[in-house]
This record gives sequence, C-alpha cells and structure tokens, in this order.
Amino acid sequence: MKAFALYKRCFLILMTVFFIISCSRLPVIKPVDPAMARDTMQRCHLPFLDIPYRFVHTIKVAFPGGRTGTVVGVTAFDPATKTIQSVIMTIEGFVLFDASYEKEVRVNRAVTPFNAEHFAGYMMDDVRLIFLTPDGRLSDTGVFEDGSTVCRYYVKQNGVIDVIVHKDNTWEIERYSDSNELLRKVTTFSLQDRIPGMVELNAFGFREYTLRLNLINAEPFSPEALQLRPDNAPEDDE
Amino acid sequence: MRFITTKGSAKREVLVVGILFCSAVMLGWADNWEDIEKESSNIRSVSAHFSQEKHMHILTKALISKGHFYFRAPDSVRWEYTSPVKSVLLMRKGDIKKYTLGRRGFVEDSGVSLESMQIVLQEISKWSRGQFTGNEHFSATLKGGQVPKIILTPKEKGLSAMISRIVITLSPDRQATISSVKIIENKGSYTLFEFTDVQINGEISETIFREVE
Repeated sequence: MKAFALYKRCFLILMTVFFIISCSRLPVIKPVDPAMARDTMQRCHLPFLDIPYRFVHTIKVAFPGGRTGTVVGVTAFDPATKTIQSVIMTIEGFVLFDASYEKEVRVNRAVTPFNAEHFAGYMMDDVRLIFLTPDGRLSDTGVFEDGSTVCRYYVKQNGVIDVIVHKDNTWEIERYSDSNELLRKVTTFSLQDRIPGMVELNAFGFREYTLRLNLINAEPFSPEALQLRPDNAPEDDE
Repeated sequence: MRFITTKGSAKREVLVVGILFCSAVMLGWADNWEDIEKESSNIRSVSAHFSQEKHMHILTKALISKGHFYFRAPDSVRWEYTSPVKSVLLMRKGDIKKYTLGRRGFVEDSGVSLESMQIVLQEISKWSRGQFTGNEHFSATLKGGQVPKIILTPKEKGLSAMISRIVITLSPDRQATISSVKIIENKGSYTLFEFTDVQINGEISETIFREVE
C-alpha cells in the first residue's frame, strides 16, 4: 500500500513538472501597424553595431553560492562576415583563453580550465548573442505590453531569440530553447552612443551563471588588422 | 563556464605576481648571482608604483594598467591595481586573498586555493633571497653587459604553455632599480611591467597588508 502511495506521489510530481514545462510559452508580441513594421525592424538593429568594433571589458563572473571572479575580456567582431575574436585574460595580463569564430570555433590558446570540453563553443555562443544580429529567420515583430519594440528570430535547431529595445534605447536579448525555456538573458545599462557601459548576461537552466561586463574601452577597427597575426613579430627580449 | 576557481590558473597568476615582486626587490646592477643574492639579503621593505602594458595581436594599442606595490619581509605583499580595474591582492603570513571592486565595494575573488598559495609562497621566499638558480619552476640565465638581464625559462610543460619566458632588465645604473619585467607568452603577446618611485626599506604600515581599503 505504501509502495502504491509512493508511485502515486511520483506520478503526480511528474505530471506537475510536465504540466509546467508544457505551459512554458514565449512572451506575447502585440502586432504594430503595418506601416510601422519597417521602423520596428530598424529599431531592432539598434543593439548591433554595423561596422567592425573592438571592446575591452572587465568581466565579473558569478556562480550560484556566491563564488565570483574577475577577468578582462577583449572582443573584436566584424558584423559583415560575422567573425569574432575573443580573448580572456587575468587582470595581471595573462591570457587564459584566445579563440576566434568564423563559421566554426577555432581555439588558439586555452589553459586549464578554459580548455574544458564545450567551453569554447558555449562562450562563443554567449559572445555572438551579445554582439551580433541573430542568425535566424525573423518571424515576428511588434511591441510588448510595456511598449518595448521586439523582434523574434527562429534560430535553426537552437530555439528562439527575442531582441527587445526599450523606449530609452537600452535593450535586452533573450534566448529560449525549443521548448520555450529561457536560457539566456542579456540586459544593457548606461548607454552612450549605442555602446552600453554595462552588459549583464544571465544563464539559466543546467549551468547557471552571471557575467557582468563593464566597459573599459570600445573602438572601431579595420578588419584587416585582425588577419595580420604577428607571426613575424620580434621574439627578442629588448 | 567553471573558470576562476581551479588551482592551475590561480597558481600561475600568483606565481607571476611573485616573480614581479621579487624582480622589484632585486636592486642594483649585478653581473653574477652572488651579487644579486647579497643585495637581496638587505631588503626589509619595498614600495613602488607600477605600470603594466599588455600587448597582443587583438589590440592595436597596448592595454595600460597602473597600480602600487608593497612588500615587507619576510612574506607580506600588497599588489594593487588602481586603473582601469581596482583590484587588490594581499599576501600575509602564508595567507593570500584577492579582491576586486564592484558595485558593492571590494569583493573577494574565490579563485585562489590554499595549496597554490603554499607553493607560491615557498617560491617567493626563495626568490626574495635572490635564489633564482636551482629553482623548481624556472631556469635562470644572467646576461651581464651594459644592460644586464635575467631570463627565466619555465621548466614545466604546464607553465611553459602559459609563459614562454620572463626577461628582467636591470638598470645599467648601479644606483638604480630594475627598469622592466617583460613576461612573454608567445609571439606578439607579452606584458611589460615598469616600476617607478621605488622606495627601499621605508616604513610601511601593517594595515597595508591586512586591509583592502
């Protein structure tokens, strides 16, 4: 009899979980006047710079339980080719991770624990989410209840990305799984000339963490500069 | 995304801070290890300003950081960055802590393990006595001449993946201190530290090594 009660309880829990999951749905987008659709789409491009840019941030990483750490991140990207180069180093200047993305991730340097399996891929996904227009089909545009502009992209085999631009021109980017579970949320603060002074990325689900990027420096650059890796750089000690 | 917390990177980070600290205390012109060891034995305290230039291929111009450095024998160190990030690393009586300024003041980084600290402090203890030769982690070469240099090359494969070599350039002036420390990671990527306003054997308050602010 006890066993039956246990099974019944488990079944109820499973059904509740299933019900909650099946009830997950994306935020409702209210349509806008068709005449305004073009403006809405243009507004959704506000978060994404259209020329090659290089950012230097301090990145504070926080995990559940209060563990934190701070590193310096350098990110250079070219929106035209969707290429990214990313370097993480300690405040003391030691490069822990150096990778580029051009259709696929190429790791130039990764010291333990940055050489962990899948780390480079996950990290580049986060960087792309923050800096580049989503790679996906624009399926819907409109506004949320609070008047924020929103563009919804369906990303092949990768769920949905909502780009939300608020009335004050700050923005949020939300990434959902195929089952509409919120996986990532990017929030921007202290905007100046389309450059946020702070970006916060919250990762939900199995691996929870928060990245808080505080801007040190942002500048446009020539994409050729990235290709010129200094293989002939002097190795002397002078 | 489990970074910051493993022993390896923390150990290397602190190891290099150790190298820098020892570089700063090595005074005077020297063309043999005995001179360096002799000079180092007189050091009771050091304070200095430092600038740090990070050069790498992704940056068209170097990333500059500045800060202060304090040392008191036998084992108290404060390595403080004032810009662009405010960060303090404290080593005192075998205990090491690192703090970074956030929105709610200085917050302790949870990335440095006790084991790493012990190893590094042992190394620092050797270097502070000018004992570069016979070091477990680095081979040392002393190059004399008008601009004397000490070149440290990692012995371990793990460390050499992080650092190609370290070049400590001493001032050609006998009365002066070292002119720079260059930590070369690979071609095109290096960090250059320069020390100024170096004060030797001056009074440094105990609180400097105990309190972050």
